[in-house]
Amino acid sequence: MREISYLGAINEGIGEEMERDPKVYVIGEDVTTSAFGITRGLVQRFGQARIIDTPISETAIAGAAVGAAMTGYRPVADFMFADFMFIAADEILLKAAKWRFIHGGVQRLPLVFMAAMGGYAMIGPEHSQSPEGIFMHTPGLKLAVPATPYDAKGLIKAAIRDDNPVVFLYHKGMLGFKGPVPEEDYVVPLGRAEVKREGSDVTVVAVGMMVHFALGLAEELKDRISVEVVDPRSLEPLDIETIVASVRKTGRVVVADEDTSRCGPAAEIAMQIMEQAFDDLDAPIKRIAAANYPIPAGLMERFVLPQPADLKAAIEALAG
Amino acid sequence: MELDRDQLVTLYRLMLRARKLDELMVNGLKTGKMVGFYHSGQGEEAVPVGACTFNLREDDYVYPHHRGHAIGFTLARGVSPKTFVAMHYGRVPRDVEGPTSEQRGIFGISGTIGGAFPMALGWALTAKMNARSQVSICFFGDGSSGRGTLHESMNMASVMKLPVVWVCENNLYGQWMPIKDAFPREDIADLAHTYAMPGVVVDGQDVLAVHEAVRVAVQRAREGRGPSLVECKTYRYRAHAEGMPDVSHADPRPNEELEAWKQRDPILLFRNKLTERGIFDPDEAERIEAEVEAEVSALDEYAQQCPYPEIQDPAILDLLLYAGGEEVRS
Repeated sequence: MREISYLGAINEGIGEEMERDPKVYVIGEDVTTSAFGITRGLVQRFGQARIIDTPISETAIAGAAVGAAMTGYRPVADFMFADFMFIAADEILLKAAKWRFIHGGVQRLPLVFMAAMGGYAMIGPEHSQSPEGIFMHTPGLKLAVPATPYDAKGLIKAAIRDDNPVVFLYHKGMLGFKGPVPEEDYVVPLGRAEVKREGSDVTVVAVGMMVHFALGLAEELKDRISVEVVDPRSLEPLDIETIVASVRKTGRVVVADEDTSRCGPAAEIAMQIMEQAFDDLDAPIKRIAAANYPIPAGLMERFVLPQPADLKAAIEALAG
Repeated sequence: MELDRDQLVTLYRLMLRARKLDELMVNGLKTGKMVGFYHSGQGEEAVPVGACTFNLREDDYVYPHHRGHAIGFTLARGVSPKTFVAMHYGRVPRDVEGPTSEQRGIFGISGTIGGAFPMALGWALTAKMNARSQVSICFFGDGSSGRGTLHESMNMASVMKLPVVWVCENNLYGQWMPIKDAFPREDIADLAHTYAMPGVVVDGQDVLAVHEAVRVAVQRAREGRGPSLVECKTYRYRAHAEGMPDVSHADPRPNEELEAWKQRDPILLFRNKLTERGIFDPDEAERIEAEVEAEVSALDEYAQQCPYPEIQDPAILDLLLYAGGEEVRS
């Protein structure tokens, strides 16, 4: 199979869905060129009526996407950095998430809120967050967090085809990562985890960049510890069954995520494991996530964001 | 544009229905028939009725606002008030005839002030892409002129030349904040200059003045000539929400201010005008009033017969939350 980049996979996925459905369009700041290149080249194919550059107006971008979705279109609203989504909290957390439910289920809101999350680029507290927790916490929003080019393309396509609001967070530190991606049409359904590597001693439930940390460590430790890596791929819906099945097999689990530790996705997943598989656990669940501080710019970043060494220590302690 | 006799009478009847239904809600809270809270729109009926009646098409999009919980708008759009009354009584409406509010382009009321500007922008974007000369009309109070969403949405709508009509229903107060202390100019319509669109101020107590100003703005939007701003000066008779303090900052609103505005009550003014012009037959005003009172009384009875909500199967909540279950269309 051919290999393409994570960035190219998302770009290709959006382009395919725009070809497939004339109701799909992209709206956001400077999307014709695109800061990360996610939508670059699409304006040449689809024109400015469907790749829409806006003023710097996050609330208008998000709210317009909600209004457009309500009236029959399938907008993809691009926020560039996930941190900027907080500006549009009303539009994302209240309008998009709630309006179908509070109006008796008569509305359909097929839209995607797309943004780059993640750190390790040393670009500071308001350009590095992984705000998965706040979206996972909010009923009414689906949340996709792909870690590979294959998943990125399959999930952006599933997100665009979904009749509900989907937050699609791609990791800015993985844009150049390459991997096999089929040329034929496929989707990765929301709510289906994948066992990225099989093992028998310790399960690592890993999200986003943590998947790559975990896979690297699994290889490094393979002679001593057999590590199973489970990637939820989407956090809502969450495929807890696949996670629990792995935990029942290994009896030991680390949950690793890049969002802030306190009330983050790792906390929620760990609790669900405890509720469903407590009797199968041979050791307390461990959690690897960002420390409860803002993410500093520059070299201080490593004191807050989870590091491979942290994950390695957790795996070794569990396997101990 | 000259409205014919029947149209004029229709405007009068709609305003009266909005008023009487508003009074029913206020009374319903006092007597315990109604659940939740209520934001009365008494005194402001000329704005929704004048703006939305005979100016809009069925496929236009309308954002109402929280005053009167949008009853003036839904009535003007031909939506049965059965749903309004039953749901305010905490019950499930039954046997509702006619279009739903969604089928007339009314999708809900934002719980946050100014939360609707961006959605109305989205509807205007849809209208432009549909290319069927639809318009999006967004009503807002003076209080929401403080929101950043207003700037973002008005700015983008003008830049993109979208078919949207912004209508400010300026009743001089936010919750308790007088607009004179919340906005630096006399007229909110002055914003129009900044966003390169026409802006007019009209007497919000005069249903025909509101109708004509909005008609011109809607026409402009339909012709693809971009947004407009219409400001209607009006006044809120009751407190922001029933049972809450009725104050300006921390002091009671001046009674003489309220009484002066009641002299210019939009229903009273229009009734006098229709009588003076000989539009009303003798006793017609009384007859309409009796008919509306009978309708409201019947709605009160109807709503009390509607059942309270029950959930037999908790899975219904999942169906409300997400469309299409977990299936991905392929």
